Amino acid sequence: MSTADKLMANARYVWTCWKVNLAAMEYRLSFLLLAGMMFVNNAIWLFFWSLFFGRFPVVQGWELHDVMLLWAVSTGGFGWAAMLFGNFPRIAGIVATGHLDVYLSQPRPVLLSVLVSRCSVTAAGDFLFGIAVYLMVGDTSPRGMLLFALGLLISGMLFIAVMVVAGCSAFWIGNAEGMTQQLFNSFIALTTYPSDIFRGFVKLALFSLVPAGFISYLPIGLLRDFDPLFAAGAVTAACGLTLAGALLFRRGLRRYASGNTIAMRS
Amino acid sequence: MDGESNRWAVAGRKAAAVGRIAFRHQLAYKTDFAMRGFFLLFILFVFIQLWSAAYEGDFSKSISGFTLKQIVWYLVFTEALTLAAPPLCSRIEEEVKNGDVAIRLIRPQSYAGYHFSVFASEALTRFIVHLAIGSAIAWPFVGPPAFGYGWLGLLALSAGALTVTFLLLMLVGLCAFWVEETSGLYFVLQKLQFTIGGMLLPIDLMPEWLQRVCAWLPFQAALYFPARMGVHFDAALLAKQLAIQIGWIVLLALAVSRMYRRGVSKLHVNGG
Repeated sequence: MSTADKLMANARYVWTCWKVNLAAMEYRLSFLLLAGMMFVNNAIWLFFWSLFFGRFPVVQGWELHDVMLLWAVSTGGFGWAAMLFGNFPRIAGIVATGHLDVYLSQPRPVLLSVLVSRCSVTAAGDFLFGIAVYLMVGDTSPRGMLLFALGLLISGMLFIAVMVVAGCSAFWIGNAEGMTQQLFNSFIALTTYPSDIFRGFVKLALFSLVPAGFISYLPIGLLRDFDPLFAAGAVTAACGLTLAGALLFRRGLRRYASGNTIAMRS
Repeated sequence: MDGESNRWAVAGRKAAAVGRIAFRHQLAYKTDFAMRGFFLLFILFVFIQLWSAAYEGDFSKSISGFTLKQIVWYLVFTEALTLAAPPLCSRIEEEVKNGDVAIRLIRPQSYAGYHFSVFASEALTRFIVHLAIGSAIAWPFVGPPAFGYGWLGLLALSAGALTVTFLLLMLVGLCAFWVEETSGLYFVLQKLQFTIGGMLLPIDLMPEWLQRVCAWLPFQAALYFPARMGVHFDAALLAKQLAIQIGWIVLLALAVSRMYRRGVSKLHVNGG
């Protein structure tokens, strides 16, 4: 089988998984409730920000409009990532509990198989929210839409890559579920606050150790005042971390010991 | 008369015993405590950065009666109270789903009373721990919480605030007797507390029209009252806010009691 054939076979496999996962939307009322819940959640956060900026119209150069774009990029990016690769926040748990066995037995790349085997229904609400907010306040010219699409791509890739890297720690330290869950919550929180409220070492960490800054600065560095240096840095960080996550997972697999858990792919 | 007072004494002893067990139960889950503690530290750090940026690092500036120091300590108090509440709704939901509610109902203690004993024990322990953790981060950034009798005001209103929170959660949790799934309703309640309850932003900083709306809702009694009194002690206001809290507790307790009686009469349990 040539490389092109393998790639085509994997693409068909991923497409089939997405189709099966999205069948969850068949339960329309449940889907609408769950997705609507996330939409309302995000809307309430924006309500908070509107109250905040009502008192402080400009904070470190950020205005309400910028924070709305930040939420559009962050929730939109998280939304597509969790809809299409819904297992990315759960890798540590899957590894630690021995549930990786079921994916190892399949003739497909293990990480890809793990990632696409779940679809977060609530994430549809996040994705739609991101799109709706952008359409409301963003630049809808072709250039603006393209930059927004790039922002969504960077943001989603970073969410997946960071959690894959963190989840791989379970190969070495065992039960890392609690730790990665905390990291996940903290990472999400950091991507929803203006990056310029942080200073010094914390700001440096936001663009290196915990690269949430590459998401939270997107409304300024990519959408408002396009900065080619920042855009290149964000693309490099997203691609580099994705590659690092895949390589780390491959290394971790060599250390993986089955727990003989009898499990089925759900 | 003696029989009546004896009945209340027995109920009190039962509630205290359940509270003691719940307290010991919590001590067994130290990791859980540590995780919540980490998240509290993290989120307070983010808030301190945000508000410092909003106040441009000026400690003397006062906005709607709040200095930067008062805002940060206000957030410590609201976060400590918010994270103190155990997941009551999901517990009731689970009891209904897996049938455990059958065991609770045949116990010689009121169903709401049992949950209140557990809630009070857990919430008070968590509240004290969270206050200590929150102080550990707020103190180095904005200085000590020297707000006169503020601590007295905070503690005086916190018991009522946690009781209001319990009753609101109980109202949502009891919906499980009808609909089983209450996470959506809980989610709405939580977000209402975050915003119009004054968790993220003191109600004084909100627009006039919203302040008027908040004044008619129970959410401010659960977070805003104790936290504001903690940083702005006012004896006359303390008495008024205590009276409002008592009013809401009576009203919500009646609603819980009525809802429980209606719910339990139509509950069908399989298993347990």
